[in-house]
Amino acid sequence: MNTNLKISNVTKIYPGCVANDNVSLEFNSGKIYALLGENGAGKSTLVKILSGVIIPDEGKIYLNENNLKLNSPLDAKKNDIGMVFQHFNLFETLSVFENLIIDSDEQRESLREKIDTIMKKYNFSIDLDIPVLNLSAGQKQKVEIIRCLIRSPKVLIMDEPTSVLTEQETSELFLSLKKFSEEGILIIYITHKLKEVMQLCDEVAVMRRGKLVSVSEIKNENIESLANKMVGQNLKTIKKKKAKTSSDQLIKITNLNFTSEDPFETNLMDINFSVNRGECLGIAGISGNGQSELFQILSGEIISEKNSIEFNNNYIGDLNPQERREYLMAFSPEDRLEQAAIPQMKIFENVALNNFKSSNFFNNGLINENKIKEHSKKIISDFNVNTDNIELKSQFLSGGNLQKLIIGRELITSPDLLICFNPTWGLDVGAINYIHETLIKINEKNKSIILISTDTDELLKLSDKISVIHKGKLSKIMNAEEVTSEKLGILMGGAN
Amino acid sequence: MIIDINFIGLIIASIMASAVPLILASCGELITERSGVLNLGVEGMMIIGAISGFALMTVTESLIIAVFGAMLAGVLISTIFAFLTQTLITNHVATGLALTIFGIGISAMIGKNFVGIPGKEFPVLFEGLKDIIPLLGPILFGHSIVFYFAFALPFITSYFLKKTKIGLIVRAVGDSPESASNQGINVRLVRYACILYGGAMSGLAGAYLSMIYTPQWIENMTGGRGWIALALVVFSTWNPIKILIGAMIFGGLTIIQFHMQAIGVRIPVQFLTALPYIVTIIVLVVISRDSRKIRLSTPSSLGKSFHKDN
Repeated sequence: MNTNLKISNVTKIYPGCVANDNVSLEFNSGKIYALLGENGAGKSTLVKILSGVIIPDEGKIYLNENNLKLNSPLDAKKNDIGMVFQHFNLFETLSVFENLIIDSDEQRESLREKIDTIMKKYNFSIDLDIPVLNLSAGQKQKVEIIRCLIRSPKVLIMDEPTSVLTEQETSELFLSLKKFSEEGILIIYITHKLKEVMQLCDEVAVMRRGKLVSVSEIKNENIESLANKMVGQNLKTIKKKKAKTSSDQLIKITNLNFTSEDPFETNLMDINFSVNRGECLGIAGISGNGQSELFQILSGEIISEKNSIEFNNNYIGDLNPQERREYLMAFSPEDRLEQAAIPQMKIFENVALNNFKSSNFFNNGLINENKIKEHSKKIISDFNVNTDNIELKSQFLSGGNLQKLIIGRELITSPDLLICFNPTWGLDVGAINYIHETLIKINEKNKSIILISTDTDELLKLSDKISVIHKGKLSKIMNAEEVTSEKLGILMGGAN
Repeated sequence: MIIDINFIGLIIASIMASAVPLILASCGELITERSGVLNLGVEGMMIIGAISGFALMTVTESLIIAVFGAMLAGVLISTIFAFLTQTLITNHVATGLALTIFGIGISAMIGKNFVGIPGKEFPVLFEGLKDIIPLLGPILFGHSIVFYFAFALPFITSYFLKKTKIGLIVRAVGDSPESASNQGINVRLVRYACILYGGAMSGLAGAYLSMIYTPQWIENMTGGRGWIALALVVFSTWNPIKILIGAMIFGGLTIIQFHMQAIGVRIPVQFLTALPYIVTIIVLVVISRDSRKIRLSTPSSLGKSFHKDN
């Protein structure tokens, strides 16, 4: 049976921001639709309205000509709209089966049979009786998908589904989605990744700043045309020049091991690598494979053996982050608002938190506010942070501006090595471009970078050498020119 | 000296009796905490239950009204906590502490007129069977209905959490209120219910103290049992069966150290009085060492406010 979903004049206004501005769209089953836009373009708001999580201020939604009243997620479920959120809605400590039965009215046995049938049909294999926290991200997503399929949905909405998946898992997902579509389920696919839209979808709707910009068929579009629609201007593409091969070693990690007390952290095994001056070493991997432990050890949040880290001919494994900064290392952690900055503190106060000795931020234990403010203003203008107000609390900066501030704060001392972890995670295309340019400039000044990232495209663009981390082990280090994203994907999945 | 075997039975029975209020209050608080709410007001709810039960018994002369009245009083005072933490989104810790202070104060005020009044005798079950079997007779028979309920409660709680749909929903809410809400579960409703249930059990625990265990009203008669109940929940790693073990150890050592003091064992009294606290915690820590299991049974959202925004 044909399914027709219509969004009619939907508006949702938040204080200071129009999330959806009079959006109208129409979808028909048999096709896969992409909803494309940058962060904050309003696509998440729109799908949350479709799934009943958010109630729109104005506008109506029709499924097969019936006006739907979606006041809660339950209403969406009852109306056969299934949704897989970007952040999984799973209960980590409950078993897979408990997660599935919780919103089902069926008996245990009949539900189990139903799940088995679905898993066989789509070639999923998941142990139903282990807790969800033992599953990989790809498996968790399959659990979410099974949860939707149990209810035989007419519409399936996928919100940024590939952000946590490997290349292989992504192509498996695409196969499943195509199969669902052939079986008559209407698929709406939300993403900001242009490549995926081209690969998977039949039609694409682009959103920008809450407004619907265009609806078109994929065959009439290409990556550049979509990118320009998404950003609203022509983007210049930046390319890294081949680095001068230097053999001047800056940092060397030897036989680094880490065993965690916490069973949900990853142990690191026998990590060895070195980075030369002017080089960028990329470390790829699916999140949760030891990246955050490695970052913490490199930054000194976790102390290791003195001899395991040699930096500029000094053994620094037992130094804390502050002491390491004095050797001209700098760090940009993954979580901007949790680890890199204190959200409730003002911009200039956050700048002062790097109280490197040379800065004179403090005189005999007293804060030298003028000095700090002067310094903060310099960072803001040098690094293009879009605000004049250094008294602003850092939580009110957008992700892109905050990241620029953090990188600026780290770079103003011109460190020899910058270690960054997912520096462009969740940023929009413009900010990503700026951060990438900045990182390339660092290398051009003969300074080094260790870039830990889950974004393979970013790694291929910026790195001179690449290694892959999988279950706490590092692959051999490869020259970036010899690597393709497919090869990285295979290594990230654990194969050789 | 010949020790009468029934005397040992009586000691064990008295240990079990002293464990009853701890089991009741802990199992109630366990459900509350499993839904993600940390209610530090257990002591306050218990003492309100104690005075309500005793006062209603004296005034109405009906034990049934008194017992259910005490539970209702626990529900009412926990409703204040629920309204503050779930509707007005106040901090769990501060609100719980305030509840305890409030409970102790108001119970002392109401209790003024009830000091020195003798309690009524609470009927016991299977009195006749007590003397038939040696040792086991005094342990198993001749107790109040609340006593039997308390020893069944950990098993009922365990079954409820593991095997029933509602138990699953409670655990889910405690694990991730955001996911639960997105699944269409009414998080606030579930948490209200769990808080109110915890209040009822604390009220019952208090009533047991003032109506059955020592049938009279004494100001501040819960004497910190509410705090022990809270500690049992945490150190048992939210496992009702381990609560039973912990409560028995605590009750046992409390009783035994009384007897040791009476016999005149040459150990400082302060040490003996501290013993139950130390040993209970050590034992529970030792039997709950498996960090994986701790992670699986700890409610991830414990003590965090959940606010659904639209």
